[in-house]
Amino acid sequence: MKVITSDALGAWLDRLASETILLAPRSVDGIALYRPVAGSNEIVFDYTRPKMSPKEAVFPSTETLLSIEKHSQDVTLSEPVQEKKQVIFGLRPCDAHGIAVLDAVFVEKEPVDRSYARRREATTLVGLACPQMWESCFCTSMGGAPDDPSHMDVLLTAVPNGYAVNVVTEKGKALVADLELGEMTGALPHPTLGETVQPLPAERWPERFADRYWDLLAERCIGCRVCAYVCPTCRCFDVRDEVAERRTGFSRYNRLRCWDSCTGPNYRITAGGHNPRPTKGQRLRNRFFCKFYYMLQDYGSTGCVGCGRCIEACPVNIDIVEMLHDISKEPVISEVTA
Amino acid sequence: MSQSTGQIQEQIRAKAKELLENKVRCVIGYEMGSRGQVRPAFIYQADDVDRLVWNQGCTHNLTTYLRDQQKAARKGEQPPRVALVVKPCDSRALNVLLAESQIERERVYVIGVTCDGISEGSGFAKQAAVGNPPPALQHRCQHCGERVPVVYDLLCGEPRQVDISDDYADIAKLEAMTPEERVAFWLKQYDRCIRCYACRQVCPGCYCNVCMFERDDSLWVGIAAGVKEKEFFHLGRAYHLAARCVECNECERVCPMKLPLSLLNRKLAKEVQELFNYRAGVKPVKAPLLTMLAEGEEPLI
Repeated sequence: MKVITSDALGAWLDRLASETILLAPRSVDGIALYRPVAGSNEIVFDYTRPKMSPKEAVFPSTETLLSIEKHSQDVTLSEPVQEKKQVIFGLRPCDAHGIAVLDAVFVEKEPVDRSYARRREATTLVGLACPQMWESCFCTSMGGAPDDPSHMDVLLTAVPNGYAVNVVTEKGKALVADLELGEMTGALPHPTLGETVQPLPAERWPERFADRYWDLLAERCIGCRVCAYVCPTCRCFDVRDEVAERRTGFSRYNRLRCWDSCTGPNYRITAGGHNPRPTKGQRLRNRFFCKFYYMLQDYGSTGCVGCGRCIEACPVNIDIVEMLHDISKEPVISEVTA
Repeated sequence: MSQSTGQIQEQIRAKAKELLENKVRCVIGYEMGSRGQVRPAFIYQADDVDRLVWNQGCTHNLTTYLRDQQKAARKGEQPPRVALVVKPCDSRALNVLLAESQIERERVYVIGVTCDGISEGSGFAKQAAVGNPPPALQHRCQHCGERVPVVYDLLCGEPRQVDISDDYADIAKLEAMTPEERVAFWLKQYDRCIRCYACRQVCPGCYCNVCMFERDDSLWVGIAAGVKEKEFFHLGRAYHLAARCVECNECERVCPMKLPLSLLNRKLAKEVQELFNYRAGVKPVKAPLLTMLAEGEEPLI
């Protein structure tokens, strides 16, 4: 394996920031977020995991899918321009895993989501291995590890005097091609591991569908969307055409795609006003079934990567690990009482 | 917290047990959750009352759950009777909800608890375990002199007086800015917002079935998470809560992006106090301030 000194890494990041869009953990009013940086001096290195996942970089919370222009009777449709190249630096292995889950949904199965695919194609992932699993981390239970290079283009690991450089993909190889790297001596450090949970096997989830557990769990749920919005793999969206400009003989509309979440009360409302998922318990159940059952059925892998963000962000302590422990036990009550 | 924390907890459990025999369907209180967190608890059986706790981590304003718990099972039926634990700030929300005809007083048994303040970080996984070491009080609690709930059927804990008055120092800082500085300050804050609506969902005063910011026809605001939309949402929500916000500050606590929402709500609370000598929920009123009539005035409808 190769190694890069801290100074050389800084210089490389400075160059990347000037040549391309460089996203990296940055302190925004005291909150670590993946944001564009102008140079390595803006990057924070002593972060655990940024509050928001890097999903924003490939699946932004708001994007224009289509512009619709109407000149009297002529209608023109146009898609936004090609995405610029971007490098995400410092993403954690769970976050790269999250992007792999998004890839499975948006590009690896027909129909390909063109907007996502363009942005993803233009993105290179340069990760930073975690020295340890932090509080609420459970990546090793979801098929990942704090030092897992699987879904990265390049994975760096802090070593004395610099960073070990693991070039994983051809894309990564191209990115580091002109870097002067030294030879690594000695072994990579072993990260400290943390809590584990054994999820209920997918085939047993349907047994729990009618369990009263979901209603009880959801009693304290306030129905916000924090869990879904901080999640690296939640990818539901709403699409709406909004007026951007209107004057005599001319109008322009934007077809917007914005994040949405099944935990919100109006998510499933259909034309005519019917809500087939009217209770909080049903909505919360859907979120967890999506991660641990529907995703496996549809895409062959679990939708949760064990980053623990939802555990830390939930205002009322709905804890996905606790839920996994709970439903592995005997069914709570399958009949709704009270 | 005072030495009576344990006694308060015992009082809550004893009353809950008694109420659950046949007087209420559910007791809404606090319990210990995962990772040393306190969380809202819904107790239906007298045998489960030992789950209830009272400590300095009991941050949630449980009155927000009344909108779910006070729904009648069938049309025409009475909503179920519930009991809930309230702190002084939470209890003010009851007066607001009563004035707005959102709850019926006789359907809610109020277990009031005297409060000396709640710990910073309460309700989230990243806090230190409750009580060890003693964490700082939340910002809202540092300028709060309310020690006794304004509405209760049972009061737990010793009522005591403290000499703390709110000097609105945080608001003064904001007021000292030029309008341009203030706009820049707020736009920077709104920019971080992710429109997760946690602030709205946790708020006891936000009980609309369809929020004006989420109408399917986008009448008032579009669905984009753009800074304009977010500014409109936060200002709109703040105005809707003017003279209604009880400053429990749950909105600021739950914000994942740490927007200083208390500055918006407290600015309006200060204005309302100065203009009308009115503080939301402190006293029972017949109607919300903005619909209140002066003496001799007749209702328009």
